[in-house]
Amino acid sequence: MNQGRVLHWFALLVALGAAIVFLGLLTDTIREGLPHLTWQFLTTAPDERRGGGGIAPEIVNTVVMVGGALLVTAPLGLVVAIYQAEWQGRVHDGGVIDQVRATWLSVPSVVVGFIVYRVAVAWWHWPLSLATGGLALAVMNWPVMVTVSISALKRVPHAYREASLALGATRFDTVRRVVLPAALAELIDGWGWALARLAGESAALIITAGINVSAHWSVWGPGETLAVYIWYVRTEGVGADAGGVAAATALTLMMFIAVTLWLSGRLADWRRRAGH
Amino acid sequence: MRERWREMMMTRLTWALSGAFVIMGLGLMASVLVGSWPILMAPHSLGRLLSPLWDPLQGQWGILPFIVGSSVVTLLALCLAVPFALASAISVSRMLPPVVRPHATRVLAALTAIPSVVFGWWGLQMVVPVVRNLGGGSGFSLLAAAIVLAVMLWPTLSFLFAEALQSVSPSYVDASLALGATPDQTLVRILIPCAMPQLINAFLVAVARGLGETMAVQMVIGGQVAMPQGLLSPGATLTTQLLTDAALYPPGTRGHAALDVMALALVAAMAILVRISARWRVGT
Repeated sequence: MNQGRVLHWFALLVALGAAIVFLGLLTDTIREGLPHLTWQFLTTAPDERRGGGGIAPEIVNTVVMVGGALLVTAPLGLVVAIYQAEWQGRVHDGGVIDQVRATWLSVPSVVVGFIVYRVAVAWWHWPLSLATGGLALAVMNWPVMVTVSISALKRVPHAYREASLALGATRFDTVRRVVLPAALAELIDGWGWALARLAGESAALIITAGINVSAHWSVWGPGETLAVYIWYVRTEGVGADAGGVAAATALTLMMFIAVTLWLSGRLADWRRRAGH
Repeated sequence: MRERWREMMMTRLTWALSGAFVIMGLGLMASVLVGSWPILMAPHSLGRLLSPLWDPLQGQWGILPFIVGSSVVTLLALCLAVPFALASAISVSRMLPPVVRPHATRVLAALTAIPSVVFGWWGLQMVVPVVRNLGGGSGFSLLAAAIVLAVMLWPTLSFLFAEALQSVSPSYVDASLALGATPDQTLVRILIPCAMPQLINAFLVAVARGLGETMAVQMVIGGQVAMPQGLLSPGATLTTQLLTDAALYPPGTRGHAALDVMALALVAAMAILVRISARWRVGT
């Protein structure tokens, strides 16, 4: 059984090495972050001068910007996908929309932030704010939503559509009553992943949403998120307890992402079971 | 009648939004092209752009140090990450018992969602001191950036490699084993060659992710605009320089146009990667 498996065992050894490095990263975050992660930390504003302080505004900003960007782009992406998959009949790999989608998807987030900064801040005179940051996230997320929706629609068997059309339903009714319910589980999965990805975004937000929070929350006020706060604390911040604060913020962010992925996965599973 | 109307409105809506999608996507690309126009069209533009001297006060906008930084960091990170990722993919898809396999794949997928800034934070306190002790200097260096990037790319690459290996039809593997080939021979002669198109695609995804990565690199590379003298010297990449200078030069200034050139270089590199990857795309 184990003859001629030397390479396999060697691979397992190397893989274990990599896994240990990664495990070290996770345990580091937990070990340093957990002592800092108190109820007070989650519910108060940061206080750089005295040290300590919490991350409540950052949590709110993250949820508002990421949620807003997703709420706007999810239907937009779905409609573009419906146009290709349902109205054109099939998705042209290498068609104009597909090429634009693939290229747009590959644009680095910092470049998106840079462009949104020029358009929104320099031309339209928007301040560095939650609104500008949300716009950057939306621009980043639209092609993601198109990709997610197309792969969800592609998984719906063609027989479903044919049956519905044969019964006399219009295309609109077929999409609304047959295709979308059948694709919903995959869509929920994709939305969860997009949410997780957006929550971890920071490069574009440093440019467009700013790196501080104001005492008076508003969508036109500066909108530092959890991810940006980690960066700020460790590079620009002067607080005395930067290490612990950064670790605890990282832990919070990673738990937020884990819960998002878990919840969307469960919801999708539940939909899948309900559908069959 | 109402149904006809609804159908027509839906047709128009999907068509209009798809048009808006294309226009906006092209607009993004056009924006960096137009923005970099003043520098690209200036006399001797290419020679001056590709000079190693970035000195805003002297009006020197050579972006060569950043191109070198981006290339070196990405290449080195991939050299570090690919062997580990391939080993992990082989372990997950060939060594683990079939019951555990889907869970291991799911864990790898979940690890890809860890935000890059977390890797930057970890690099600051774990990798930079190690590089400092081993190689002297401040520790903020291309090498530190490559190591952090490699760790960051490992889950993505492992996941995609494992998917590639699992896409090979089991009958090929069974046939090879039935003919008396050892598992190792089957792996090297059948599994990896058959999965090669997907493996290459996974590699290209990792190249794109590495090239576009900003945060994890920015926190440990040192942000030095001079030409890096070696792996242990600090540097900057196209993305990190964009991040640190974006708010520094308002639109209309020369510096802003120089940043646009960097953005254009990144977008062009990405577009090329997408084209290459489309060639390797397997029929779905």
